[in-house]
Amino acid sequence: MKNAWKIFAASLAACAATQAQAADEGAAFFKEKTVTYIVATAPGGGYDSYGRLVAEYMQRNLPGSTFVVKNMPGAGHIIGANAVYASKADGLTLGTFNTGLIYNQIVGAQGVKFDLSKMSWIGKAASDPRVIVVASQSPIKSFADLQAQKTPVNFATAGPGSASYVETVILTNTLKLPVKNLTGYNGTDDQLAMRRGEVVGSIASRSSYSTFIENGYGRYIAQIGGNDKDVPQLSSLVKDQKALDLIALVQSQGDIARLTAGPPGVPADRVKALIEAYKKAMEDKELQARAEKLEKPVEPAYGEDVAKAIVKALNQSDDTKQLLAEALKSDKK
Amino acid sequence: MFDVMFAALGALVTNPQTMGLMLIAVMIGLIVGATPGIGGRLSIALAIPFVFGMDMTQGAVFLLTMHAVNGTSGQISSIMFGVPGDGDDAATTIDGYPMAKKGEAGRALGASITASGVGGIIGAIVFAVMIPVLEPIVLAFSPAEFFLLAILGITFIAFLAGGNNIFKGMIVGLFGMMLATIGMDPQTGTARYAGDYLFLWDGVSLVTCVLALFAVPEMITLAVKGGSIAAISMDGVKFSYKQIFQGVMEVPRHWFLALRTSVIGALIGMVPGLGGSAAAWLCYGHAVQSSKTPERFGRGAVEGVIAPETASNAKEGGSLLPTLFFGIPGSSGMAVMMGAFLILGIQPGPAMITKHLDLVWTLIWALVVGNLIAVSFLLFITRWVAVLTFINATMLVPFIVVLVVIGAYVNEGQWENLLILLGMSIIGYAMLRANWPRAPFVIGLVLGRIAEESLHKALDLWGLSFFTRPISMVLIGMIVATIGFAIYRSRKPNVLDNMQVSA
Repeated sequence: MKNAWKIFAASLAACAATQAQAADEGAAFFKEKTVTYIVATAPGGGYDSYGRLVAEYMQRNLPGSTFVVKNMPGAGHIIGANAVYASKADGLTLGTFNTGLIYNQIVGAQGVKFDLSKMSWIGKAASDPRVIVVASQSPIKSFADLQAQKTPVNFATAGPGSASYVETVILTNTLKLPVKNLTGYNGTDDQLAMRRGEVVGSIASRSSYSTFIENGYGRYIAQIGGNDKDVPQLSSLVKDQKALDLIALVQSQGDIARLTAGPPGVPADRVKALIEAYKKAMEDKELQARAEKLEKPVEPAYGEDVAKAIVKALNQSDDTKQLLAEALKSDKK
Repeated sequence: MFDVMFAALGALVTNPQTMGLMLIAVMIGLIVGATPGIGGRLSIALAIPFVFGMDMTQGAVFLLTMHAVNGTSGQISSIMFGVPGDGDDAATTIDGYPMAKKGEAGRALGASITASGVGGIIGAIVFAVMIPVLEPIVLAFSPAEFFLLAILGITFIAFLAGGNNIFKGMIVGLFGMMLATIGMDPQTGTARYAGDYLFLWDGVSLVTCVLALFAVPEMITLAVKGGSIAAISMDGVKFSYKQIFQGVMEVPRHWFLALRTSVIGALIGMVPGLGGSAAAWLCYGHAVQSSKTPERFGRGAVEGVIAPETASNAKEGGSLLPTLFFGIPGSSGMAVMMGAFLILGIQPGPAMITKHLDLVWTLIWALVVGNLIAVSFLLFITRWVAVLTFINATMLVPFIVVLVVIGAYVNEGQWENLLILLGMSIIGYAMLRANWPRAPFVIGLVLGRIAEESLHKALDLWGLSFFTRPISMVLIGMIVATIGFAIYRSRKPNVLDNMQVSA
């Protein structure tokens, strides 16, 4: 990541003058134009709130432009991502979708009609570390306790093929956790199931569990990514290299959450102008305050940096690809 | 306790700013509710930017009121034109539209609007009463109970079809359940009957099916027949507040039914996982099944309007409970609401009782007052709205077809749904012409999916022993009784007049 920053900074410095000019020309294009911002989920929820926030503040920072949010839910974000990818490469269509689609692309899953490495990356707005959560009534107090379970305990996960399902399956398999994964717990069903006691825990994004934990219904026992000090990093608890590789992959997903991208081949000056507007939006104190209230702080990265992180995440060893393919394979474990 | 309770009411109604906001919220909620295809969830999502910077209480009251009255206006188009706004309103169409055809739109609207208000208010009361026992009740319902509740609802099909049509009803119900299997298999992640058509991965759109099956066939019939929706001339009807008032009085006449369906609706709303449409349909089924004269249903029985409307408004009070006190939303609309609460600085959780009891009471009162405002306003304008059913078909039908097409598209924003609309409309029209019951289809579609998902989960968790959980046993008893009664009734249709069973 640091290297990428250096390269980015160097390249910026090298051609700062031409870039500034290019961005100006690009920005001029957006005067009196309408930009469609596709959100790959139904209204409401994290992707929608972030999408609307980004669209609103990009519009303010791209003079004369109008941003319109369009919800295109379905097929676990694939419909929305396909739509962004297939849109006209004029910079007037952008969108946001789940970073977890990286998994689908790696294994060439059904329905995927995009190549994330070719998209015009504008930026990402947040980091969303993953956590292993257990219900507070469970005797499991730490990751070691979980590993020491003699009989498998139930974990709740969303539908097969979803990003959270894939992560849960590859982590539990590689770490050889004594866990039985129960599927079909969508939305906040998993939290209710933990309260009822029918499942013991879940592997999920930290932001989706913050209220649950604050209410004392559960505890974090390990975390992947993020800077929180209240729970040990999973990578510090395991030794196996293969497991560490997978943890790194999951972490890279969490690092580039709430992304914004356009289709491949958008003219460079327009991409520059969009990145510029995105950056100004992210640095806007008002946007930061609003994101803070959603308990979703802004941790942005821009353009090239995001593109590099995506390419890196897509580039996995055959072993990892095999593991992912097994996790995404349709028949049940 | 009581001082906090009435202090909250006093603070709510004496603050002109809050009351002004509530009026605006009621209007927006009613308009959104009356437009097919746009759900309450979207309206909250769009309103969130406006509540930034609002006072905590006012912001919460504004959003809640807007959401709560959403279901109150959806019935207008269901009753008048047979165009349901969403899955719950479809249940109101079945008896509401035939009433409009008989020239009783005013009576139907009077009854349904009042029922909505009564449901909303009883929902708020259930909310208040349930606070102390919320935890054990909500946690008692697991996938095992969801499965059996869904099966219980499906057995109501036997009554919906009417005595002689029981096999037709079963065929239509099974057709609905069959379509419910389209989409991503919840257990294995395989796309079933969907292939590469991504728009089918999440299942067939309920709103599209409902519009195709109920609205389009009626519009074709009307266009073919000519004339107006109301089969009698306007001079024949004393179209006035009198007819609407008659409708209003139907609710106290059927007070026990309204009470039961309100409580059932609130309880279903309280237990996350069953979904909103299930409440309206289970209660419609209950009204038919507990009626002494079930054969009147589908031909304009006023109870068929009262039951789903009380249920769909009562569930709002119910679904607010787990959202506020567990921080676990009871419906997708409430999930958006919870996001908005966080923005306003309200931290949902058990601490609400100890730290924010005044806010809790304010919200309960907001449900009550908001429903009262919505009901009075709608009853006031109904007189003019109902006249539309006397408009000539040549002028009315094009408008409604446009409304239907927009509704089918806007809901998911996918043009492929228009093809589904076309295909299902043909089936719907054929069913109407051949006099087949259409309600069982929606029950099969709504409950089939819930039944499948929860059966998988229950089997994974407990194996077959889930049938022996205590609530499961009660539900199994109710299912057996319902089926037994249906068989008994179909064999001896005449005895029915003297019988009543309530489940």
